[in-house]
Amino acid sequence: MIKLKIDNIEITVPQGSTLLKAAAAIGIQIPVMCHNEKIPNHASCMVCAVKNKQKGEFIPSCEVKATEGMDIDCNTEEVTAFRKDALELLLSDHVGDCEAPCRISCPSFMDIPRMNRLIAQGNFKKALEIVKEEIALPLILGYICSAPCENACRRKQMEGAVSICQLKKFTALEDSKSGSYYLPEKLPETNKKVAVIGAGIAGLSATFHLLKMGYSCSVFEKNAKAGGSLLNLAEEVLPAEILHIETAILRQFGAEFIFNTAVNALDIKKDFDAVLIASGENTKDAALDFSGDGFSTVHEGIFACGSVVKTVKMAVKLVAQGKQAAAEVDAFLSGKSQQYAVQFNSKFAKLKEEEIATYLMESTAEDRIDPSQGRLDGFTAIEAMAEAQRCLRCDCRKASTCKLRIRSDQYGAQQSKYKIAERKTIRKYFQQDILVYEPEKCIKCGLCIKILETHNDLTGFAYIGRGFDMHIAVPFDKSLQLAIAGAAAECIAACPTAALADFNPEENH
Amino acid sequence: MKKDITAIVDGIVAAKGKTVNKVIPVLQAIQQEFNYLPSAALERVCETTEISPSRIFSVSTFYTQFRHQEQGKHIISVCVGTACHVKGAMLVYDAFRRALKLKDGCDTDADSLFTLTKVACLGCCTIAPVVQIDDITYGMLTTEKVPEIIQDFLSNRQDNTSVRKHQPKHTANLKDEIRIGLGSCCVASGSSAVRDELEKTLENNSIAVNVKQVGCVGICNQVPMIEIIKDNKSTAIYTKVMAEEVRKIVLKHFKSGNIFNEAGNRLLNYIEDLVVDHFPVSSRKYSPEKRDTPVSEYLNRQINIATEHRGIIRPLDFEEYMKLDGFVALKKSLFEISPGDITAIIKHSGLRGRGGAGFPTGVKWELVKSAVSDEKYIICNGDEGDPGAFMDRMLLESYPFRIIEGMIIAAIATAATQGLFYIRAEYKLAVKQITAALEICRKHNILGENILNSNFSFDITLFEGAGAFICGEESALIASVEGDRGFPSLRPPYPSEKGLWGKPTLINNTETFSMVSWIIRNSAEAFNNTGTLHSKGTKVFALAGKVKRGGLIEVPMGTTVREIVEEIGGGIANGRMFKAVQIGGPSGGCIPASMADIPIDFESLSSAGAMMGSGGLVVLDDTDCMVDIARYFLSFTQDQSCGKCTFCRIGTRKMLEILNKICSGKGSEQDIVALEQLALKTQKGSLCGLGKTAPNPVLSTLSYYRNEYEAHIHGSCPGGKCKDLIKYEITEDCIGCTKCAQRCPADAIAAKPHELHLIVQEKCIKCDSCREVCPVNAVILK
Repeated sequence: MIKLKIDNIEITVPQGSTLLKAAAAIGIQIPVMCHNEKIPNHASCMVCAVKNKQKGEFIPSCEVKATEGMDIDCNTEEVTAFRKDALELLLSDHVGDCEAPCRISCPSFMDIPRMNRLIAQGNFKKALEIVKEEIALPLILGYICSAPCENACRRKQMEGAVSICQLKKFTALEDSKSGSYYLPEKLPETNKKVAVIGAGIAGLSATFHLLKMGYSCSVFEKNAKAGGSLLNLAEEVLPAEILHIETAILRQFGAEFIFNTAVNALDIKKDFDAVLIASGENTKDAALDFSGDGFSTVHEGIFACGSVVKTVKMAVKLVAQGKQAAAEVDAFLSGKSQQYAVQFNSKFAKLKEEEIATYLMESTAEDRIDPSQGRLDGFTAIEAMAEAQRCLRCDCRKASTCKLRIRSDQYGAQQSKYKIAERKTIRKYFQQDILVYEPEKCIKCGLCIKILETHNDLTGFAYIGRGFDMHIAVPFDKSLQLAIAGAAAECIAACPTAALADFNPEENH
Repeated sequence: MKKDITAIVDGIVAAKGKTVNKVIPVLQAIQQEFNYLPSAALERVCETTEISPSRIFSVSTFYTQFRHQEQGKHIISVCVGTACHVKGAMLVYDAFRRALKLKDGCDTDADSLFTLTKVACLGCCTIAPVVQIDDITYGMLTTEKVPEIIQDFLSNRQDNTSVRKHQPKHTANLKDEIRIGLGSCCVASGSSAVRDELEKTLENNSIAVNVKQVGCVGICNQVPMIEIIKDNKSTAIYTKVMAEEVRKIVLKHFKSGNIFNEAGNRLLNYIEDLVVDHFPVSSRKYSPEKRDTPVSEYLNRQINIATEHRGIIRPLDFEEYMKLDGFVALKKSLFEISPGDITAIIKHSGLRGRGGAGFPTGVKWELVKSAVSDEKYIICNGDEGDPGAFMDRMLLESYPFRIIEGMIIAAIATAATQGLFYIRAEYKLAVKQITAALEICRKHNILGENILNSNFSFDITLFEGAGAFICGEESALIASVEGDRGFPSLRPPYPSEKGLWGKPTLINNTETFSMVSWIIRNSAEAFNNTGTLHSKGTKVFALAGKVKRGGLIEVPMGTTVREIVEEIGGGIANGRMFKAVQIGGPSGGCIPASMADIPIDFESLSSAGAMMGSGGLVVLDDTDCMVDIARYFLSFTQDQSCGKCTFCRIGTRKMLEILNKICSGKGSEQDIVALEQLALKTQKGSLCGLGKTAPNPVLSTLSYYRNEYEAHIHGSCPGGKCKDLIKYEITEDCIGCTKCAQRCPADAIAAKPHELHLIVQEKCIKCDSCREVCPVNAVILK
């Protein structure tokens, strides 16, 4: 047995234990990336580094074995800074989007690529479900959204951006025509009541999300109908029928509308567990002080969002604020800590000329489609499917499981720290419908090489070159099928990033 | 005629073996045959051996030696080692590109006659810049000479294959002899031609004198060198001898046995002496007795331990080695003292590893000795990869028996069972000499079963390294012998515990082994009398760069930088100012002239931010840019990084990117700060010696020459090296000779006879040709 100190705790571990295991024995979880319990490999990423205090050295805990009398630091500022350095270097050589640029630029963070894929497959209902995870009023936004997503769309570089806004409208219109509106599953009833003041965009959006979270919602509106500022829009911009449908959906979802009623938040607070003011630009009340954090006000249990706080012109931003305010109300009422810190996101600037063909491999070469029945009525189903197929699939296939993203998030790593010379050129290789290999996402841990070495019948992978330009490829330019074949799932699971990813993660899970 | 790949590969595999560890020798043999690695050949190897496609690709793309593309008929390797770099290797490289009309991204000319490559270091630093075309080395190049060299190569290559008619005679009873060095530098400077001429002259004139081909003479920048010995005494040394001068030199000292020829010679002498007033024209003659000649200055400060009998000994003359106390130490180790005594002597001598880190040799031996195993290995590390270092090459070429003796003694001391030489494949002569020496030793029962009738058996094989700086690191070296990429592994366990094939292994540097026999023979005290408190004995350095006299030197530890540069090296050449010495290559740092009085030993170099490294010592003058030097080393290390760990793989590249930015004049103050921080992080975060020391050139230049970094930020390069920050101009001194205009490859100068010439800046590619060719130094750098 070996005696050593980890984070000043004296422990005894069996001979041959790695520092990683020794730390785990006393409940200290050291993050790992290139390490895999089942696959013998050399340490390389240095994200699991710890400090040997006696020698002043940083060592990979996944490989270094505990020796008698060691004194190890796992959690000091110096160690965390070191891990962050390792991550930042890796990120500087990591070319890819975690989330697609369209989604990042959407104030409501709508999962656009996923919606596109579902529409392309003809699964319009599921597409709307994805839309409605983030966007409460897709039908309305389908008509009036300024679509910042389309400005960010990488397809803009070739034959025009994907017609995202029209696609979203298409899913919502399909739903509205179906006879039974899609209503998301609600969380269990909380028996708590929230008053929403104002049935404009922000108020309606918040109402939708609050209902989904299991609250009962009363919407107070001074006008005779819902819509707020939307009521000023011309019929050819936003048909009245659309507003009517969206209100009807909310009512069916459980919202109680109290029209022609102007209320004061401080007055009604006693009847509700929380009040959210979303009464719009012209209803500011001198008695209310909005200077709280986020959407809270100085008055306990009273929140505010939308133009009543600060004028917001963009409809989709109001939709976003409604969602975020609802989350804050929920945090307040449930006592949970509020979680909408922005997750780490790897990104890169424009596609290079030579990358366009690579990206088009996952798409069609068509020009942007204009709805044949006019912009107001939007796409036919065939048009929608064709347009959705133009999506380049910029989002990462392992956006939620990539260890590089998770660790970068955890350590607050900045990708732009070492942005000096030109980035590498993105390549993508496919094993038909099974796997995608993106070398520019690889951290060169070699786990896949090790796995494939155990499959004698396969060509396997090889390291090519050395130093910064070292990469992993199939020997003799053979196909991925010959290299990996049946071992694909094993390699995908072991790959710490999305360098090796499931071709269709959504369907296969 | 198309070669039958299958049959050839099968033949190679049959000769080399089928196990995974044979991958490098098999690849080397294939390349030898086809000049590159044809894919079909590699596939055949995978079909018929245990070597997998993954392994063959991982290995063949790791080592620089291997080429996957078909090459031109001849390979031109431009040495870009440190000494060559500071003497304009890149300008020479560009000149070759122009001469061969190579398009961007293409390294082979249109006729597939030549392929142009860069090579990390050919180890001929004293005659820099150097280029190797196939097996012929050309030294002291200028851009101007490039077309001539291509021509020379094409017209002479037939001659090289012809068999020499006259074989050198070696008769031990003659009292007179002529010594000529045939180390790589000597040969590159033309000593083969001198030798041929010498033999021809002796034969034609029937002169009975020994021509003795000795190894490296050490004074590499004065070669080819001839030493005349009469009545067992040195009477004259001629340096920089040219073939056409040989006859005169010989006839000056030896009487022709042929009356008719002598008359002819006299007549010729008479006529030629009328034409030239000094004899001989380009060479200088020195008498060895005189104390104030450059040759004696060069040699006097030196003590020869590793280089004992330098300039006297014939590398492969077994009898002579025996006569000069060769294998005395071996016999003593076999028959007189115990293995424990050997280790004790080495330990007491204070000898520390000469590979760079300076680990006490005796302690290392003890560790291997105490490791329990039925098999143990001894490896001589001759993978000298530092650009700017050539000590190991010289020692291997010139003193093969001494190194072998050191290895056998180490084997006795540690109870090792097998020995291995690991030598860079680029060191062709060293490989040849060692292979021959091993064969001779076996014949004389110095190697093999029951060495010298003792009960100790030991043999040594040779492994040719395929070109990877990292393989100088012992765990990477072992990986490469085992048939893998040179990925270092974490230590502990150290090789002394778990080395080659998992067995205890002693790895020492070539120079370390070459000191062993001397110490055993002369006692530990004799060795540790020399040197400093913690660094005992002598150290061999490769002195090159801007000194007047470069070469291989062996000096006591503690000798100062100034003594080496000014006394041994004769100061700075061309009247320039001494600026700094770069010690330790890519792992080392720069020591400024202001600190030239520091004694050279392991500790003082480390505290000055440099490192002993393997002993490359490149002298820099005021025309050298320190930012460019840092960039040069980083471009080397980032290329040589094995690529395994994050900090080294990405950190070194990012440092290089920042340095490129600074050198191009686009850097900012923040970039200097970022560079320094990244250097410290890389030092901290790397797992092996390469990554840990790679930032040294940056950190040491930042600490001594931060002002030069700042100058680049403000748009000027004080050394006049960084192309984006300099321009060429022609001064009023121009005589209108038009030479510059004729030479300019970019048509940036219009030829105007007898008028002041002008450089069109927009067209200028800064190739330096005009400055080189100007007879009145009217072309200046701004």
